[in-house]
This record gives sequence, C-alpha cells and structure tokens, in this order.
Amino acid sequence: MLTTVVGNYPKIPNRPRPARLRNAINRFDRGEITLEELRRVEDEVTVEVIEEQVQAGLDIITDGQIRWEDDQTYIARRLSGVSIDGLVRYFDTNTYYRQPVVEGDLAWTGPITVADYQFASEHSPRPVKAVLPGPYTLARQSLDEHYTSLGDCVMALAAALRQEALALQEAGAPLIQFNEPSILKHKEDFSLFCTALAHAVEGVRVEKALYMYFGDVDGIYPAVLDLPFEIIGLDFVMGPKNFDLLGEARFTKRLGLGLVDARNTKMETVEALVDKVRIISDSVPLDNVHLSPNCGLEFLPREVAQAKLGRMVEAARRSQEVLA
Amino acid sequence: MNGALLTTTIGSLPKPSYLQKGRNEYAAGRLSREELSELERRATREVIALQEEVGLDILVHGEMERGDMVAYFAEQLDSMAIGGLVRSYGNRYYHKPVITGPLSWNAQMTVETWKFAQSLTDKPVKGMLTGPYTMVEWSFDDYYESRRQAVLDMARVIRREALELDRAGARYIQIDEPALHTRPDEDLEMAIEAVGIVSDGLSAKTITHICYGDVERIYPDMLRIPVQEINLALKNTDFRLLDLFRKTPFSMDLGAGVIDVHKHETESVEEVKEGILRVLEILPPERVTVNPDCGLKTRTWDEAAAKLRVMVEAVREVKRERGIE
Repeated sequence: MLTTVVGNYPKIPNRPRPARLRNAINRFDRGEITLEELRRVEDEVTVEVIEEQVQAGLDIITDGQIRWEDDQTYIARRLSGVSIDGLVRYFDTNTYYRQPVVEGDLAWTGPITVADYQFASEHSPRPVKAVLPGPYTLARQSLDEHYTSLGDCVMALAAALRQEALALQEAGAPLIQFNEPSILKHKEDFSLFCTALAHAVEGVRVEKALYMYFGDVDGIYPAVLDLPFEIIGLDFVMGPKNFDLLGEARFTKRLGLGLVDARNTKMETVEALVDKVRIISDSVPLDNVHLSPNCGLEFLPREVAQAKLGRMVEAARRSQEVLA
Repeated sequence: MNGALLTTTIGSLPKPSYLQKGRNEYAAGRLSREELSELERRATREVIALQEEVGLDILVHGEMERGDMVAYFAEQLDSMAIGGLVRSYGNRYYHKPVITGPLSWNAQMTVETWKFAQSLTDKPVKGMLTGPYTMVEWSFDDYYESRRQAVLDMARVIRREALELDRAGARYIQIDEPALHTRPDEDLEMAIEAVGIVSDGLSAKTITHICYGDVERIYPDMLRIPVQEINLALKNTDFRLLDLFRKTPFSMDLGAGVIDVHKHETESVEEVKEGILRVLEILPPERVTVNPDCGLKTRTWDEAAAKLRVMVEAVREVKRERGIE
C-alpha cells in the first residue's frame, strides 16, 4: 500500500513559525519586493512542504501547489481565451476562488506547470505526481460566455489540458493526475465527461490518476473503471456510500483511497482508519491501494494537516501488518 | 414599531480608523481590554448618531466589538476555541473557530453591548445574533459525531442568548444565517429546526438574514423558517428573486436589500426608488422593510453614510408619492 495526497497543501504555518508566503505576497502587492524575490519565497516554501510530506512518510508527494491562487485560476489564466473575474464560493466550503470567464477560443499556449514539476522533482527524494484540474471541473467552475454548449467548452479544455499533460510527460512526470470533483454533482454529464477525459489523456503513456471527491460515485460506478486511468481516487469521507459500491462490483483498477477527512480538524484514530482499510481490503488488494486524505489539505491549518498525514502513514503501516 | 417601509441596516457598519488601529494595538498587547472597550463605545456612539442623523427607523449597534461574526461568539464560549489559520481565498487567511466540547451557554455575549447602544437612542436597536447553522458550518468540529448534533446543541446556546436579549427588552432580534443554503438538500430541514429553537416564543420581532449564493434553491422552503421577517439581497442580482415571489407569494415580511454593499459608488435616489417600487409591485408596504443588501462593514464610513442617506431619501419620496403613512 502506498500513501499520497490529493493535491494542495496548506501554504502558511501558524505561530511561532512565520507566514512567509503570505507576507511576501503582501509585500509584492505593495511593490516592496520584486517578482524574483517573491518567486524565491515560493520556491523555499515549496521545498519546505515537500520536506513535510517526506517527513510524514508519504510515498508519492506533490509540490503542494504553493504557487496556485486556487484550484482553477493558476491553470485557467495561462490559457488564451480566459479572463479571471470575481469571487465565487468553492463547492460547499467557506472558501472562494476567482471565477475564470471563457471569452474566446480556448488554447494552450505553452507549459504551465512543467517548471513547477521539475523544481519539485529536483528537490524531492520521493516521486512527485503532477496534478491538474480535469477539463469537466474546470469548465463547470468557469463562466462560459463563448461556446454554444457546455460540451464544446469541456472538449476545448480537454484539448488544452492534454497539451499540458503531454508536456509534463515529456518533462519526466511519472504520474499525472486529473482532479474532477464536479462530476459527482452532475452525473447526468457522465458521457461527456468520459469523452473529454479520454481525449485529455490521448498519447499520455505514463501512469494516470483520476480523483473525484466531495461525494460518491453512485450511478457512475462501475462505469468509471472503464476510463483510461490506472488509478481511480474516491472520497470515502463525504461519500461513505462508496464503501457499499465497491462491494457490489469488482474494483479493477488501483484505488485512491480517500479516508482521512481533509475538511475537519477532528483527528482520526489509527484504529478507525485501519478498520476502514479492512472493509476495503475485501474488494481491493492492499497492494493496489494509494491511501490519502479525501481531498486537498488546504482547508486545514498546516499543523493539523501534518498531524493527519502522520496518522495516515501510521495507519497504512499498521494495516499492512494486520491485514497482510 | 408598526409602520410601512421602515428603514434599517443589516447589522455591521465600518469601523472608524481609530478603532481599527486600537484593535491591532490590542492584538499586539499594547492596549488593555478596557482601553479597547472605550474605543468601541466611542465608535458605537458615532454609529448611533449617524443612523439618527440619517433618519433610519430601526437601528443597529454596528458590531464595533466584532471582528468576525462566528469568531466573536466562539471566543466567548468555553466549548469553542479559535483554531489555526486557513485560507479564505487568494492571499486572505482567517482563524477558523473549532468546537472543542459539548456546546453550552456560559455567559451573556451580546446583552451589555445592546443595552449600551439602546441607552443612546429612543429608536429601537436590533439584537444581533449569528444563527446556529452558520456558527457550526463555519467552524471545525473536534467533538460531535454528526453535524446535526452540533447544530441542535448550538441552537440551544444561541436560544439562551436570544432569551437574554428578549428579557433585556430588545424589540427586534436578528438571527443571521448566511450559510443556511450551503447544503440545502441535506441540511435545510435541520437548519429550519435549529432557527426555530432560537426564535420559539420570543416577544421580539424575529428576523433572519440570508445572503448570496443560491437563494433560489431554498425558495419557497425558506418561508418555513420560523421567523417573521427575512432580509434578502435583491439589488446585487437586479431583483431577480422577485420573479420567484411572483410564482409563489412571499408570505413573510421582507427586508428588501436595495443597496449594493460591494460597490463603492453610491446609487442614485432614482435608482433606489425604482427598486423599492419593484418590491411594492408584489408586497404591500406594511410588509416591507428597506435595507442594504448586506452588512456595510466593507465600505468606508463616508460611502456607508452616503448610501444610507440615498436609501432614506428614496423611501421618503416613495412614501410621499404613494401617500404611504
């Protein structure tokens, strides 16, 4: 069993540790430091969160998306045809993001996350996975003022994100992940979703992961297993029904097992986590499991996120002892 | 207070710069609690004076003592704590409160401030509470097994505070629930039950405020929230909600938001009048209170004052033209 995260990591620690990134962005906004100086702080904080993930004992890490304004903007504002508008709520959280507005033909104009991947990979003793928003979710989280249908917008984003995935592959990323929480809120679009994702990974020969969270896959399971991804990540915290679904149809892929609640500070006990892994082990061999939080860790204070990862790694170790 | 087209605000007003500075000094340990309280009282006097000068009918104390509407209560409850920093958006972070134990009311949280504000004016001052669903929804929970248990226990806490305000003589009690429509399919009934626990049998007129997001999705269910009036942001969606009220009549009193609180520019009297008249196409004036969309705390003092003056003037003209007493 391997351990990993779903994407983002809290950007600033609490006192007594200094909120360096927050301060640097404030100083940059006031014109007190240069862009180069801000980039240096982003690099340093990225190294710091890589070290925290490694220290927690994770097998596969991310760069923590330290440079990302939110899950959409970082990618969307570098595509042509997009402008960034006002704040909207991110799902049912009390956090907000600036909504991308599609105003013209969407196109990929050059690598967006490749340098980030390379930097993280150079500074990590563990494999780094590259994480991107999926085309369906990015379209759903945007306001489309250009295309005549949702389908056209999703397919245009799929083509753009495919270019990014190919660039990441070229740069040596061993695993490329798409995050697609929105599909769980609009299962009626599943066939569009499948077409878009199939296009987005055309020609991507490295391992691919698809993570869906903030709900369960009732209604699209086991069909999701037919998608061209080696790893399918599911949320067992906000989608407890996923436990039952896995019992109903054989899980034929590797499972991204989202067990740790990344939206609440209450600490899971190792025993409770092992009990849940035990349920899953009836449907999926432990060797095929990537244990993780249910979604990105940014909803938590940094120290809580760190402590939860520690518990999770301990639970993975204990599960292998008890259930092997 | 009986009347038609009474004017009020949602609750928060901008903090004067000396108070902002005082709060920072207090946080840094350079100002005592008593010194900060003195600044808060000074600001509250100015808030009351401004509202009287502008000519509002139902006043607020302006929330000069509150930073965040959830954290203010969390700080005073023994069963809650202020947690670590989490990101709100962009480079904005806030200390998200945490429920750490079984929720219970331990002391008055709002009564002293309300009494002070009420002592400064003959007009009624609203008692301002954050509703139980929003309190829980915007906090972490380290204690409860289910959101329902947490929300219902929180309702009993806020209920007790509402009773204290009621006994102290507040004629209006507002239970703000901006998070009420976060998860309507799962939680709306629970949220309605929780607000009902707070409002049950109070002699004050009860009001709730819900803002932004998909208000459409909880209509007409929201009419079952056990309060007498709902304040809604109408202006910033160009009164789109009124179309819904044409299909299913709005059966409660309406606090009609006719001023956009997120714009610096002051609306014209004509523009605000037009908004009020649109509301009056579907509701009689006795059932309408006129207010801004939301709290004014994000505006400057001068912007807030200008917007309120325009609002009051627009109401006066509408009343004059329509012969409304």
